[in-house]
Amino acid sequence: MISMRNVSKIYVPNKPPALDSCTVEIEQGEFVFLVGHSGSGKSTFIRLLLREILPTKGQIVVAGQDLGKMKNWKVPYLRRNIGCVFQDFKLLPNKTTYENVAFTLEVIGRSKHVVRTQVPEVLRLVGLEEKMGSYPDELSGGEQQRVSIARAFVNRPPLLLADEPTGNLDPATSLGIMSLLNRINKTGTTVLVATHDREMVDSMRKRVIALEGGKVIRDQDRGVYGYGD
Amino acid sequence: MSTAMAINVGYFVKESLVSFKRNWVMSLGAIITIYLSLLLVGVSVGSGMLLGQVVQSVEEKVSIRVFLKDGAAPEDVDALQQSLVSNEFVSNVTYTSKEAALEEFKETIVQDSPEIIDQLEGNPLPASLDVDLTDPRNVMLVVDAIKADPAFPKVADRPDDPEKSLKYGQQIVNQLFAVTRILRMVSAVFVAMLGMISLIFISNAIRLAIYARRKEIGIMRLVGASNWFIRTPFLLEGVIQSLVGALLAIATLAIAWFYVLPAAKELLPFLPIALEGGAALQVSLILIFGGIIIGLLGSGFALRRYLRV
Repeated sequence: MISMRNVSKIYVPNKPPALDSCTVEIEQGEFVFLVGHSGSGKSTFIRLLLREILPTKGQIVVAGQDLGKMKNWKVPYLRRNIGCVFQDFKLLPNKTTYENVAFTLEVIGRSKHVVRTQVPEVLRLVGLEEKMGSYPDELSGGEQQRVSIARAFVNRPPLLLADEPTGNLDPATSLGIMSLLNRINKTGTTVLVATHDREMVDSMRKRVIALEGGKVIRDQDRGVYGYGD
Repeated sequence: MSTAMAINVGYFVKESLVSFKRNWVMSLGAIITIYLSLLLVGVSVGSGMLLGQVVQSVEEKVSIRVFLKDGAAPEDVDALQQSLVSNEFVSNVTYTSKEAALEEFKETIVQDSPEIIDQLEGNPLPASLDVDLTDPRNVMLVVDAIKADPAFPKVADRPDDPEKSLKYGQQIVNQLFAVTRILRMVSAVFVAMLGMISLIFISNAIRLAIYARRKEIGIMRLVGASNWFIRTPFLLEGVIQSLVGALLAIATLAIAWFYVLPAAKELLPFLPIALEGGAALQVSLILIFGGIIIGLLGSGFALRRYLRV
């Protein structure tokens, strides 16, 4: 699903690279934590996978497509295969829960029929079927993050990226979000979660890739957060 | 596919209108500048057409008259006429006899007081050859050809000074051409400047529309909306703004057409002020297409600069 070979990203010449010769292979259906302090390269990692930026060196293949060779106009079609969840939810405040999720399908040109059947189904999956008509500011943080997960997953992408999905949430709510992501993973979707939520990583016992200073310092199955102390 | 397209058209129009509502001050500013620019374009194109007709009517009157002396040998007159007919810049040569000249004089100049004719002894008016030209700008060439013709001195009304036997309106033509050229240049410069200003206004309005929707655009990019899907509402918004401006300009010109033109006609009865419906249609089409082009260019410019997709 994801293959990175010797990938480096240098934003400013003569400064230390944000990502330094990373080689990572992630198979389809895996659940992977990407951990590291701020500035360790997690966000660069995610942005490279979305082809928001191009690597300075190395090769990235996502969903069978070589991002370095991809033409600009094809990038939107790559992103239809990648669901995305962020720390700040990125919901549109003037749209209801239903409309926020439907927006994804509308802007990629899905028919009204698809929108009408898919949106309620995915909202049921994330447990928000009762809140379809609510606006984001009427929802709790956890609920908003569920909406954003619903939006990322409504198109059934084979890959789901989550950048600090629980960064703004309390531990109990975070647990709910994680189990939701786990459930999505069980449907066959590859899930990559960038986080520095130690307890979460330790309790889930999934594959952990640890970044430090732009390098992969550890990659273990059923791993723990395991920095310092 | 067709249903998807139908949904898209509805979506794009809706988005454009929502954006207009959100951002109506700038949009109105853009519409007004487009309106004023296109109005000026319409006025200059329309008055250019009117001016063209005036010039043409004057041009039609530019002909050369060769006055012939009484009793000129018919074969010499014939020879001059033949050589003029074969001149490439001459469209037509007609012979006006002394009698015909008197008739014409009676009909045109002294129409109101026929008693003047009775004062005349005999017929003082000379016969003439009237030379029509294919292009009035060539008048001097034909004049020179006449002067060089061997038959000319023999038939000229004033053999002592043959120059005085020729009458033509070179000055008028030259001045008219100079004036119309300057007018065309001035209006072209104005139209170009106003076009630039409209472009800037449209692209600024679209820039603000992009800014107002930056969050949505970010999400659209994230979930994989195609580049054209993101761009189209903005392009459409620019085109709608300039079309509204164009329609307002056409409406204003129509009012001028129906109320100002007849009044001008009354004030200047000697000028052939008249445009057919075809000309009005032409001006309208120029304004509509000009508007669409300005709208597309203005929003395209804003999209290139402010919406990197």
